[in-house]
Amino acid sequence: MSSGHHELLVVTVNHETVPMKERERYSLDEIQVEALYKALHDNSIIEESLILNTCNRFELYFKTNEARNGRSVVYETLSSFYGIPLVELEAHAKTRGGQDAIKHLIEVSAGLRSQITGEAEIFGQVKNAYSKCQQLGGAGALINRMVQKGFQAAKLIRHSTPIGQGQINISNVAVDLSLKIFGSLDRVSALVIGTGEISEKTAKALRSRGTHNFGIASHSLERAESVAQEWGGTPHAVGELDSYLNGYDILISSTNVEEPLLTKPLLERLHPARKNRPLFLVDLGLPRNVESACQDLDNVYLYNLDDLAKIAQDNLSDRQATIHTSEKIASQKSDAIWQMLEKRGLVSSQ
Amino acid sequence: MSLFGLADREWIFLATVVFTVTTILGSYSTLKLHRKAGRPYTLSLVSFGWILQTIGLYERGLQYGGCPLANRFELVQFLVWSAIALYIFVGPAFRVSLLGMFTSGFASILSILSLGFDSWDSPSREPIFGLSPWIEMHAALALFSYGVFGILALTSSMYLLQSRSLKQKKMGGLFPYMPSIFELTHINLRLLVLGFCILSSSLAIGSVYWTQDIESVNTLKLGATIAVWLAYGVLLFLRNRETLSYKQYSWACIIIFTIALFSLDAVDSSSTPVAGAASISISSTHL
Repeated sequence: MSSGHHELLVVTVNHETVPMKERERYSLDEIQVEALYKALHDNSIIEESLILNTCNRFELYFKTNEARNGRSVVYETLSSFYGIPLVELEAHAKTRGGQDAIKHLIEVSAGLRSQITGEAEIFGQVKNAYSKCQQLGGAGALINRMVQKGFQAAKLIRHSTPIGQGQINISNVAVDLSLKIFGSLDRVSALVIGTGEISEKTAKALRSRGTHNFGIASHSLERAESVAQEWGGTPHAVGELDSYLNGYDILISSTNVEEPLLTKPLLERLHPARKNRPLFLVDLGLPRNVESACQDLDNVYLYNLDDLAKIAQDNLSDRQATIHTSEKIASQKSDAIWQMLEKRGLVSSQ
Repeated sequence: MSLFGLADREWIFLATVVFTVTTILGSYSTLKLHRKAGRPYTLSLVSFGWILQTIGLYERGLQYGGCPLANRFELVQFLVWSAIALYIFVGPAFRVSLLGMFTSGFASILSILSLGFDSWDSPSREPIFGLSPWIEMHAALALFSYGVFGILALTSSMYLLQSRSLKQKKMGGLFPYMPSIFELTHINLRLLVLGFCILSSSLAIGSVYWTQDIESVNTLKLGATIAVWLAYGVLLFLRNRETLSYKQYSWACIIIFTIALFSLDAVDSSSTPVAGAASISISSTHL
């Protein structure tokens, strides 16, 4: 679409417009962001500007008092700032104007445009970008109104649709399931067997949600001690599993074994002493570390890598299924915001 | 007799409509819109229904000059009223997601049944407690404990649903909005203790009068009451000793409550007017 008739524009370079290799060229640090704001301020036809700079996207929202030349002036400024030829920049970036720019801001803030649909981190990033913009004097009446109303619309989307519901990575799915079993993770103890990447991530995710008491088990006690020192926790030897398993509520296992470490007869023997305390088994190992028959026992909940991956995939599909509804809300809200901005004389009619 | 132009059953009918609407809205919001109806909305709706029901029961009570517990309809309504009161006044402390939706569903089913069977509201309009407020207290406490056990049956069902979803790895439906199984097991224990204490107090009051006049309570009522009390007592004992698994415990809570509901028949059939009590002539108002 032509952006020449609009006073409000957004230039965006993101995962939808260019591959990662090219996107990296647009990444800015704090000092560079300040320098870009300064370069924009020096341009008399740019009245207001907001820079959003994350690992996956560079965006510049701006208000220009010269609708005809505003876009080309900004492209030239960016081209010279980044040292990227204008032709190349025009191929990488996409411009949206007027109400579309507002809709874009709402969609980005709500996570609809994120590479991982519905992720919540972007909302905080947009907030930080806005805060920085205010500090550096980039925001005026238009940007302030647009962003504040845009945030409200993004919040509405996140609260009224399942766009952000359900975890979509395996470690967080495991943590979510732990919460569904134990409620709070403050008093929960977790035993990690094996030191694979997913185990480590899951342990970290549990720690971030309040779990303090960890056990680290390895085939050799020396290895367990060394990992326990690094991650924090009590070291154990896998060979003595039956002597300490009852002290834990969650078991995350991803070690190399030919036969399952945990069998139903072993759990049946240990089970009475648990006195109905639930046991959450997360089997991330291949071949499996936990015999599937353990699931038959009351209060035992067993999830393997496939189960967790399927839940993550289902959650992602659910989020994607709601994109259409969310976009509709974004469209309605951007329409309302645009009309409000027009009434206040902050933008000219499209 | 009517209050604000409506008869007692009409107030109760309106309350039932509110409970049913709350259940439908809650289910629609959770299952279709994939978001939990906010606790303030559910609590407000259920409280509104409860107020309407209270007016209906109050109007009925005015006709007796006491608690309206004279027939099966009134027993069920009082039980529902107790369960809802517990949800409104104690429920927020439990912080159990969807408890309001489950409680309003429970209230609608029992209320619809009690309104649907005209014979349940038999026209035996006699004061049943004679002149003793203590007997009335005994009956009211017993019914209130049934309300607590009703909520216990609901939270037990929630436990079974949640545990089954976790076992079968079915993450859809109500699963994302339900409380954790750990929270549910704790709430179940608290409800069992509460219900058992209230029922025991009720029986203690009743036994004082029973020992004075053994003939005043028929064997069926006595047997049914003691059986229910014993069943919950044994369940509490086994729960404290962790002898039953939580799954068995939850099933036991549901089964005992179902049996306890049927035992109300025994209580109802024994409700004969106390000798010497004043007879009140009341015109029965049916919808």
